[in-house]
Amino acid sequence: MADKFTPEEQNIVSFSLMGPESGGPCLVDSNRGRITRIRPYFYDKEYTDEHCHPWTIEARGQTFVPPDRVTITPLGLGYKSRVYSPNRVKYPLKRVDWDPKGERNPQNRGKSKYVRISWDEAAQICADELRRMRDTYGPEAVLCESDMHGEGKRVAPSHGCPNRLLALMGGYTLQMRNMDSWEGWYWGAKHVWGMEPVGEMAPNANLYPDIAKHSDMLLFWGCDPETTPLGVVSHMPSRLCYWFTDLGIESVYICPDLNYGAAVHADKWIPILPNTDAALQLAIAYIWITEERYDKDYIATHAHGFDRFVDYVLGKEDGVPKTPKWASEKCGVKPWTIKALARHWADKTTSILHGNGGCYIRGPYATEPARLEVMLLGMQGLGRPGVHQGKMIEWNMWVRDFPVPYQGDFAPKVPQICDCLRAVDGDLPDDIDMRRYDLNDYQKEKAPELIELFQKLPAPKQFIPRCMVHRAIVEGEAEWYGLHCFSSSQQPDKNGNRKPTNIYQFDKIVYPRPGLSRVHMIWTDSPCNVTCWNNGNLFTEAYRDPSIETVIAQHPWLENDCYFADLILPVATKHEMSDLCNDLSSGVYQSVYMTGPCCPPVGESLTDFDVCVKVAEKLGPEYVRAYTGNGLTEADRVRFFYAASGCEDFMTWEEFRKRKIYVVPCKPNAQELPAGLFEFYTDPDNHPLSTPTGKLEYCSTDIEKYMPDDPERPPVPHWIEKSESHDERLSSERARKYPLLCMSNHGRWRMHAQCDDIIWNREVETMKIRAWDGYQYEPMWINPATAAERGIRHRDIVKIFNERGIVLCAAYVTERLIPGVVYVDHGARLDPIIPGWLDRGGCINSITPTSMTSKNSTGMAVSGFLVECQKVTQEEYAEWSTTYAEAWNRPLDHDAGVCLAGWLTDPAMDEDPTDGVRCLHDKAGVPLGSREPHVPDKFAKEA
Amino acid sequence: MSKVFVIDVARCSGCHNCQLSCKDEHCENDWRPYAAPQPPTGQFWCRVTDHPRGTIPKVKIHYIPVLCNHCADAPCLRAAENGAVYRRADGLVVIDPEKAAGQKQLAEACPYGAIFWNEELNLPQKCTGCAHLLDHGAKVPRCVEACPTDAMRFGEEAELADLLRDAVVLHREYGTSPRVYYRNIPGCFLGGLVYDPVEEEVIIGATVTLTLADGTRQITQTDAFGDFWFRDLPETTAAVTIEAEGFAPKTFFDLQTAGCPNLGDVPLERA
Repeated sequence: MADKFTPEEQNIVSFSLMGPESGGPCLVDSNRGRITRIRPYFYDKEYTDEHCHPWTIEARGQTFVPPDRVTITPLGLGYKSRVYSPNRVKYPLKRVDWDPKGERNPQNRGKSKYVRISWDEAAQICADELRRMRDTYGPEAVLCESDMHGEGKRVAPSHGCPNRLLALMGGYTLQMRNMDSWEGWYWGAKHVWGMEPVGEMAPNANLYPDIAKHSDMLLFWGCDPETTPLGVVSHMPSRLCYWFTDLGIESVYICPDLNYGAAVHADKWIPILPNTDAALQLAIAYIWITEERYDKDYIATHAHGFDRFVDYVLGKEDGVPKTPKWASEKCGVKPWTIKALARHWADKTTSILHGNGGCYIRGPYATEPARLEVMLLGMQGLGRPGVHQGKMIEWNMWVRDFPVPYQGDFAPKVPQICDCLRAVDGDLPDDIDMRRYDLNDYQKEKAPELIELFQKLPAPKQFIPRCMVHRAIVEGEAEWYGLHCFSSSQQPDKNGNRKPTNIYQFDKIVYPRPGLSRVHMIWTDSPCNVTCWNNGNLFTEAYRDPSIETVIAQHPWLENDCYFADLILPVATKHEMSDLCNDLSSGVYQSVYMTGPCCPPVGESLTDFDVCVKVAEKLGPEYVRAYTGNGLTEADRVRFFYAASGCEDFMTWEEFRKRKIYVVPCKPNAQELPAGLFEFYTDPDNHPLSTPTGKLEYCSTDIEKYMPDDPERPPVPHWIEKSESHDERLSSERARKYPLLCMSNHGRWRMHAQCDDIIWNREVETMKIRAWDGYQYEPMWINPATAAERGIRHRDIVKIFNERGIVLCAAYVTERLIPGVVYVDHGARLDPIIPGWLDRGGCINSITPTSMTSKNSTGMAVSGFLVECQKVTQEEYAEWSTTYAEAWNRPLDHDAGVCLAGWLTDPAMDEDPTDGVRCLHDKAGVPLGSREPHVPDKFAKEA
Repeated sequence: MSKVFVIDVARCSGCHNCQLSCKDEHCENDWRPYAAPQPPTGQFWCRVTDHPRGTIPKVKIHYIPVLCNHCADAPCLRAAENGAVYRRADGLVVIDPEKAAGQKQLAEACPYGAIFWNEELNLPQKCTGCAHLLDHGAKVPRCVEACPTDAMRFGEEAELADLLRDAVVLHREYGTSPRVYYRNIPGCFLGGLVYDPVEEEVIIGATVTLTLADGTRQITQTDAFGDFWFRDLPETTAAVTIEAEGFAPKTFFDLQTAGCPNLGDVPLERA
């Protein structure tokens, strides 16, 4: 008999926040329509070792075996708090002073509040506005902001559903995702070693077994294996790091901060000033060249243009030898430590590890350290056993074979509907296949019911890089080089290879294109530009630009760019819907699993797909038919997508429905594959790289051919002190006013902008600090010496500022950061006090540089920029809280911070209309329990 | 039958999964008669404490998850009236949420601060070892299940005997015989880097001698980075002498190991 201790229902849901890549499964128990708990999935629940063929890595007399369960992360464990967040959008909202038939008040976006409207009215307004745009300006007047990441939904993911509807209406302007986590690799390293799609080392089959057997030292260069994998992979990188230490492999961390990986795994931490790694790398090359500590034979057969590189390093080109002393002044690492590192590296078999983010790959001129890193690896015989560039995340991405041997005996392929990142027709040759989401022949045969759903929709005719959207809107035009498509969209051929795309980086592209409209309306399903992209304050300006007549956001939570929307459509979370997910990344086994709704949708929220169906209904029945593939329901999609996944060859639908998961048996011979670039190492002629010469290019053939005079990305990588794009060094004139370097990592307690409202994470001091006024501020790390110079104490409210604006944080005074630097994770939710200027939420990206990675590298630079920081004075505090009282005093949730009630004209309207769903918080965002509503002017003197 | 927790601090990455999963299980979930709901925030039946030590760049962090020790000689059990606290057959100490109403002295009785007072419910509350789950099929509490590195274990004392051999309890001096054991809590450390300021080179292989207040000595050599480390030291006063061939030796006195001193980059003069 069921009692309350036995869940009435148990579902499997993805805990990944990587968007359509789905990720690892967790078990979600529900009782009476409410989520009870979230737990790791245990593989032995349904499967035996005999089925799974568990993998084992053996090295140096020790073994590493997979755990019996998925190693769930805090972001997945805490998700109940996210589902029932007081920050949820529970019903359609309209900005109170936006009248689509009258005054639109664009200047009030980010300021004015919202009223509840019906779904019928909301859908009608959307449809009317879309039609009006098309008829008045042409379909390109609608910018679709929709790309990647987001919750781990697969079939109809959180990003891309609007694109399909807009395509059916005749087109739109696409917001093209720039290579946000790989800027330096993509725009720089690609010109050294090719490496489609993003410029990081591939293939990376069998890397970690090889490292375990052969490496002596691992350089975690800006890599935090205890942070970035949490939203993407699992804790498997953590287990691997402990094992490497057990094996006696030395872990050296090079980064400005003692990051969470360094805190527990580092044998040596070398603190370095943010984004000065290129100086350190050049000095290492200097030592290797002058002391002949590199693999000359390898260079002779595997490298192109090495002499030019040597000339630059030794100062023959510019008169400046790149000595350790020269480097030390720039990067803050002592000359003796630079020499010791260079020699130790040359003596020891060394691999470099990354985890996206870190201190240099997303900074100004990130192309240079990225290129230099590959060159240093080359000088020590890249591809030799134990000499690799590896990643602590994204083990499944872009390659056939995985660095950890959990890959399946076959590769399941769960299709997905949304092709939100695709090239404009004609921008790339036809033989470069940039359509990720077509059905292949096998899938068409197995699931013919899906063919109509996957009808070929016309491609958009123009795009704007995401990192230039604000400038394009404000200035009405833009031009840039490359980024025809998010490059990981390129489909590999049967052998897993992709066509080289380096030369397309040199194509100039303009917006608007001849004959096409500029943007007058925005529809966003990824509303985080203000907190995740470059110069968020300029995004604020763009959203408030008079040329933008309508902004529609669809999202589960009221946060960030949503505040600038005129209409907000409520979306259900992954826990409130059915889905078919594809776990390739969590690192124990691959699996395909069916997720069920764990609770009814919160409020009037609908799935991403059904939000668009609502709008389609107002456009006409032909739109509904076309959008839904002739009326396929969510349940139909899950059924037929399973048929298309390939798993049905191994397990019937009936059996799958019962078990809810198919664990793919491991490929038995995965560890026989050549590790990393071993084939290039042994035989470069027959296994060339995809560079023009097939070799490691120390002087880039393509850059020399197409842009030989680019001072910011010259053919041979340089140290760039300052140039026309960026002036963000401590040597700058600007540093007199802004003498600190600000670094920004991917967050420990967030996945970019996701999960800022998990109330239990917010109790951890590295996530939020509750200051004297009761507000939970984003922590700003600062070294005690730097803090003392400014009279800043732990937990003080501080302002970080430069010419672009002011961000409020609370000081986290710590020895974990190099002096002269402040550090704030990106992705905190905006709490605009003066929109476009003063933010209380700790959204550090609001003051990041506007300029690209460099003038011809269309990426963003969001870490390693100049700021000053000061303690907020009582006078300032009083002035802000009175002059901007309405914003300052918006109701907040005591535990979750900014919330729906803060943005409603009448907070009492936030009634929960659903049956059976009990929110963690009551109607007005007030926590259940005895506490007072958390109104700022009544803040108790909590410690 | 007697269950214990064993926590390996050397394997704790500080992910807070234990703290979080405890809240996921108990906040606003009603598991009476085992436990009344925990408030949404503010109580920590399992709390991860972080311990950053040292100065840049010789900084180390370890994390210690702390929870109710389910003491064999539990002060809360003695302070309870009316049988409000009881020990189960498996050794877990549980507060009865009905009988304990109003018994604020229970929260005060615990020297570890593991019992929280719930003002709204007028009730002392703490970790139950997820007894409600163990009695319904679960093998381990939520915190243990969620631990991604297996740093946290729960099981029969006899089965975990190997792990218990070198384990300690927190604050043994409280004399409550805790049933939560810890392994590898690191002692103090002391470190530095030795270099030649003239050549601007680290000195590899310098002999570094540590002398503790009780006269015991430890000797190490600087590594490829010129670094030396002494780990797992007791809290005491120490002296360090650095010697390298061709250089004048250097001695540091009155070093308090409790602060995990970092001697920084130490220049040696040519002899």
